Amino acid sequence: MADVGQAKRRGKGPRWIVPLALALASSGWLLAVEGRQGLARDEAQYFRAGERYWGWFEALGEAVAARKPGRAFSRAVVDSFWGDNHEHPPLMKTLYGLSWRLFHRCDCVGPKQGLHPIAVHGKHRTLPLFSRESTAFRFPAILLAGLGVALVYGFARRFIGPWAAAGAAVLSVAQPHYFFHAQISCFDVPIAVMALLVAWAYWKSLRSPRWGILCGVFYGFALATKHNAWLIPCFLVVHYLWMRRGDFLRLRPPRVPLAFVSMASLGPILLFALWPWLWHAPVARTREWLQRHTQHEHYNFEYLGQNWNLPPPPTQTGRWLLRATFPFVSTAFTVPVTTLALAAAGAVVLARRRRKDAPADEPDLINPEPPEPGARASWLRPGADVDLAPGMFLAVQILGPLATLAFPSTPIFGGVKHFLTAMPFLAMVAGVGLAWVTRQATSLVRPLRLRRALPAALATLLCLPAVAETQRSHPDGVGHYNLLAGGFAGGASLGMNRQFWGYSVLPLLPWIKAHRPPSNRVYWHDVLHDAVMMYVRDGRLPVGIGDLGVGEPLVAQSDLGIVILEKHFAVYEYLHWEAYQTTRPAQVYAHEGVPFVVAYQRGAPPPPQEPLPP
Amino acid sequence: MHLGDLIPVAVAGRLDAARFGRVWEISQRGARAPETEGSRPAQSSRHGALTLRRYERPASQVSFDFVAEWNRAIVSRVAPGGQVSWCYRAPDHFECADPPAQSVKAELLEIDTSPHLALATSLASHATTVIEFDRVPLGRELAVGAGLHNVWLRKAGKGTVSLRVLVQGRELGRIQAGNLTGWTLRKFDTSALAGQSESVRFEITVDDPNSRYFGFAAEARS
Repeated sequence: MADVGQAKRRGKGPRWIVPLALALASSGWLLAVEGRQGLARDEAQYFRAGERYWGWFEALGEAVAARKPGRAFSRAVVDSFWGDNHEHPPLMKTLYGLSWRLFHRCDCVGPKQGLHPIAVHGKHRTLPLFSRESTAFRFPAILLAGLGVALVYGFARRFIGPWAAAGAAVLSVAQPHYFFHAQISCFDVPIAVMALLVAWAYWKSLRSPRWGILCGVFYGFALATKHNAWLIPCFLVVHYLWMRRGDFLRLRPPRVPLAFVSMASLGPILLFALWPWLWHAPVARTREWLQRHTQHEHYNFEYLGQNWNLPPPPTQTGRWLLRATFPFVSTAFTVPVTTLALAAAGAVVLARRRRKDAPADEPDLINPEPPEPGARASWLRPGADVDLAPGMFLAVQILGPLATLAFPSTPIFGGVKHFLTAMPFLAMVAGVGLAWVTRQATSLVRPLRLRRALPAALATLLCLPAVAETQRSHPDGVGHYNLLAGGFAGGASLGMNRQFWGYSVLPLLPWIKAHRPPSNRVYWHDVLHDAVMMYVRDGRLPVGIGDLGVGEPLVAQSDLGIVILEKHFAVYEYLHWEAYQTTRPAQVYAHEGVPFVVAYQRGAPPPPQEPLPP
Repeated sequence: MHLGDLIPVAVAGRLDAARFGRVWEISQRGARAPETEGSRPAQSSRHGALTLRRYERPASQVSFDFVAEWNRAIVSRVAPGGQVSWCYRAPDHFECADPPAQSVKAELLEIDTSPHLALATSLASHATTVIEFDRVPLGRELAVGAGLHNVWLRKAGKGTVSLRVLVQGRELGRIQAGNLTGWTLRKFDTSALAGQSESVRFEITVDDPNSRYFGFAAEARS
């Protein structure tokens, strides 16, 4: 098999070239299109928090210059900067703030000076890579997404050949929902990348103590990225117990491996070190952080035509069961169909994998790390004497996050983003499927040249639909549904969630700017003030544009208002109808016929009447 | 963007489509409007992805629209002991003493994430809100729709609202409104009273008024 043959030549030539190229290509793709992606509500809050966190470093610099460095570490100073958005840990926000400080083109003095959450004393000296400040904030997330693609390639190469692994890497980012989240300054793709990094380190730690230590370091970074990190050890433990199930049969419980010890010790230490908000009250504030997310309220979310904002009680069996299907149906309707089909093939391959291939058989997977003959397991190398069970490993990494979201008591307001951590692993399984398809196709072809060209050709061919679908979904990937659902319109007809976070207003900004009412009374609905201010700082809205704020009674005070179309936001549309005494939108933004945002204008002239043909 | 944009607010928030003899339905992807369910179109044509259908059917004659005629109502609150406190009529709503807010008002509400022009009622604990109309010209049926307004209030509150419908002091039926009941439409038979003018009384009670904003609409029809 050509793919296998090429894989066996691993080690010849620098191994980092392909993953680096994949990372650069992915980050380049994201950077090329992020400008069309509106600012998400939460993202705008992270811009603000990131800039404030950077403010602490400025304060630290000033304190050091004044020979009073301790001043920057006082509780009052720490809290004044790091208290902002403390429901989420700071790693990514700190990077966003740092990137903004380094790479924005400073338009910070003059009329925009007062729009910053920290004092701006003068023009910033920067390396002005980006014309928009929001892009500078987003840059670390985009780079990290690129790293994720490289990691998928590197991890997949342990099981499959280079072309199939490259296919897996491409399929990991060529998913409309994943792609949407990969280009914004939020935490959902960063935590997916961190989870992948921790999982990879764990995988390698099964045979290498060095990686056991690194696993704890990476876990600390994951903890400092998003609270999804709490679940990572659970999934790894399931795999570990499965891999060492033979120990139970011998009535000898497996040892706690170094990776888990490292995660349990280094993880919290790193989290504490990276999160100044914890420094002065570590126990109380860690408890507050835990409670915030274990008792998170259920926001509104549309699924199969129903608005869900409370967990259904088990007595309502139908609703309870329907709610439990959410992550599985959403995955089936949002991941490109070719990726799903390849993943299905890959799952069969993994399920049928033979532990000990007969020498004459071609292996289903490349397994460069078979159990070492005569090796004994220890807590430093806990997988030395057993098969590493890659099928179970990938299954747990995929099904674990989905199953967590299947509990009806788990809020679903973030939809697919809440189980994005599964997607890189799903792409790896799709890569296994791609390797299988390649092997089947190669066995049908005789000419050697064609056989050699086939892995690359098939990888390209089978990745193209997902890439095209992802590009087509942009900038509304979060409202995209696949061929099974019938695309954007199909998702809307099925009553699937269309969007959240109010990002979709971006295409309407030129119209709003042109139709800004003389009263300047603009109602921005779910586009929060932080986002409006960043649009101003980016030069997409004029300085001084009105923002009436949030709340139903404010609609009546407005002269121009927008409604972000989500099922539970219907009330805002009716408030506009009543206030403006018309049901006629002044402007609509739609993607493939599915409306995302409507704008209403008080006293707007009626559209010209077009006479109907006889 | 111009589809449907000529529909007035009152028609968008209709009780149902019974009063319309002609219904135009614009649909895509095989969707159907609930108002045309079971009907056969008199005309149908395709316009790209859209299907346009015309339905013709006998229209109900509305002899009394309780929402449009809101200012003819007499509104009161009746305490459990039978003590009656009257609500006074402001230019665009009725105001009762407890709670001291706009207590009954014709308003476009969001019920079950759909628009409904209804008599919006803020409710009092331990008291029945009574909305009575005198000399209502009755037809063959009394159609009543009811539900709870506002998605966040439906999430926050737990109480169930009960609407009791009485004609000439005789109960025709009740409608219960809870968080998941949506917009409940019932048609009460008044054929025995068709052509007569009688008093129609709506009694609204709630077991827990927190975060409850109730709306109902009604039409006497023949």
